[in-house]
Amino acid sequence: MVDDIKADQTLDCRGLSCPMPILKTKKAIGKMNSGQIIEVLSSDPGTKNDMPGFAKKGGHEYLGEKEDEGFTRFYLKVK
Amino acid sequence: MNEERNSSVLGGILRRGYAAVFEENWPVWLGGVLLGIMSIITFAWARPWGVAGGLRNWGDWFFNLVGLYSRQPESPWISTNSILTLGLLWGAFSSALLSRQFAIRMAPPLEIVKGIVGGTFMGVGAAMAGGCNVGGFYSALSALSFSGIAMMVGLLVGAYLGLRYLYWELEHLPSGAGGGALSEKSEGRFNWRDLEPYAGVLVLLAAVAVAWGYSLQAYTRVGGLLLCGIAFGIIIQRTRFCFVRGFRDPFMTGDAEVPRAIAISLMISILGFAALKWSGLRGEMVYVSRAFWFGGLVGGIVFGMGMVVAGGCGSGSVWRAGEGHVKLMIAVVCFCLSTSLFKAWIRSSEALTAFMGNRVFLPDYLSYKGTVIILFFILIVYYLTATWNEETDRFTVEI
Repeated sequence: MVDDIKADQTLDCRGLSCPMPILKTKKAIGKMNSGQIIEVLSSDPGTKNDMPGFAKKGGHEYLGEKEDEGFTRFYLKVK
Repeated sequence: MNEERNSSVLGGILRRGYAAVFEENWPVWLGGVLLGIMSIITFAWARPWGVAGGLRNWGDWFFNLVGLYSRQPESPWISTNSILTLGLLWGAFSSALLSRQFAIRMAPPLEIVKGIVGGTFMGVGAAMAGGCNVGGFYSALSALSFSGIAMMVGLLVGAYLGLRYLYWELEHLPSGAGGGALSEKSEGRFNWRDLEPYAGVLVLLAAVAVAWGYSLQAYTRVGGLLLCGIAFGIIIQRTRFCFVRGFRDPFMTGDAEVPRAIAISLMISILGFAALKWSGLRGEMVYVSRAFWFGGLVGGIVFGMGMVVAGGCGSGSVWRAGEGHVKLMIAVVCFCLSTSLFKAWIRSSEALTAFMGNRVFLPDYLSYKGTVIILFFILIVYYLTATWNEETDRFTVEI
C-alpha cells in the first residue's frame, strides 16, 4: 500500500512543469543509495504519464502514487 | 423492470466510454496516428495545420492596435491561421475540463523567466523557419518541403543545447524548487473539480455553435477549421502529445516513445499530402516556404532551445496554456509578440528574406515517388536510431 510507505527523501516539485520534475528526480536519485525510497511531489499532470516510464527505463521500482490536495505524491525505490 | 435494467446497462456503457476517453490516458502512438489523420483531413478541407501563424496574427493585431504597425492584419476572427490556433486552445481547454485536469497552475519566478525567454526564442525561430514545430517541421515535411528536414536537424541541435542549459541550471540555480501557489485546493465542501466535466461540455457545445454561426455567415470553411483545431486540441491534450519530447528525450532519458509516434504520424501525413498534391487537388507549393536552408536550420536551432527552456513547443505551449499552466500562458504571449516583430523585420528587407532561403519542393528534384521513399527512409532512420538509443543510452547525457 502506498499509504504505508516511509520515504527516505522527499522532493518537492510542485509548481514546476515538464521536464523539471523528472530531471530533478533523476538528479536526486543519483545521490541516493540502492533500496532507498524517494517521494516526489508534483502538480503537473504530465508527471503521471512520465514517472512510471522513467522508473522503468532507469531500472527503479515504481511503488505507486497518491493523490493529495492539488498535487500527487509519487514513490520510487532506487535501483 | 426490464426497461430500468436496460437503461442502467446503457448508463454503465456510457460511463465506461466516458472513462475511456476522458479519464484514462491515451497511448502516445495513438496520438501520432490520430494527428496524422487529422492533418490530412484539415488539408483536404482547407489548408495544412499550423500554430505559429495564428500566434503571429494575434501579435500583428496587438501591434496594430497600439499603433506600431500601420497595416491592419487580417481579422483574427476570419484568418484561418488564427482560427486553427484558437481551436487548438479551445479544444485543449475543454478536454482538460472534461478530464478534470484544468487548474490555474502558478510557477516559481525562475520558471516564469524561462517562459518569457523560451517563448521569445520560439517566436524568433518560427519566424525564420516559416513556422513552429508544426508549420515549419510537421506540416512542412508533410508538404514535401526540404525546409522541413532542415528544421528537423535544427530542432535536434537546439533541443540538445536547451537541455545542456537545463542541466547547468540544475547545478547552479537550484532555487526553482517547490511550492508554487495552487488555486485548486478544495475549500470547504465545494469542489470545483466535480463541476469541470459539465463546464467542459458547455465549452465544447459553444464551439459547435460558433462553427455553425460561421457557416450561417457563409464562412463554412473557417468554421470547419475551428472544429479541426478543436480536434487537434483534444487529441493532443488527451495523449499529452509533446513534440519537445521527440527531440529532447533521446538526450535526456533516452525514452523513444514520442520519436516513434512522430515518425509514424509523419508517414501517415506525408502519404495524404502527397496524394492531395500529386492528384492536383491541392497546390503543389502550399506550405513550401522560403526557409531552405538557413531559415529552417538556424530557426530550428533557436526554436529548439526555446521549446526546451519553456517546456512546450508551438502546439505544446498552447495546449498547456489551455490546461492552466501560467508559465506556458506567458510563453505563448511572448511567442506572439516576438514572432510578429521578427517576421516584420525579415519582411522589411528583400535581402533578408532571400537570406532565409529558397522554396524547395522535393518532388521537383526527386519526383513524388522518390520523395516519399526518401522521406520514409529518413523517418525510419529516426525511429530506429531513437529506439536503439533507448536500449543503449548512446546519446543520453548524464547529469
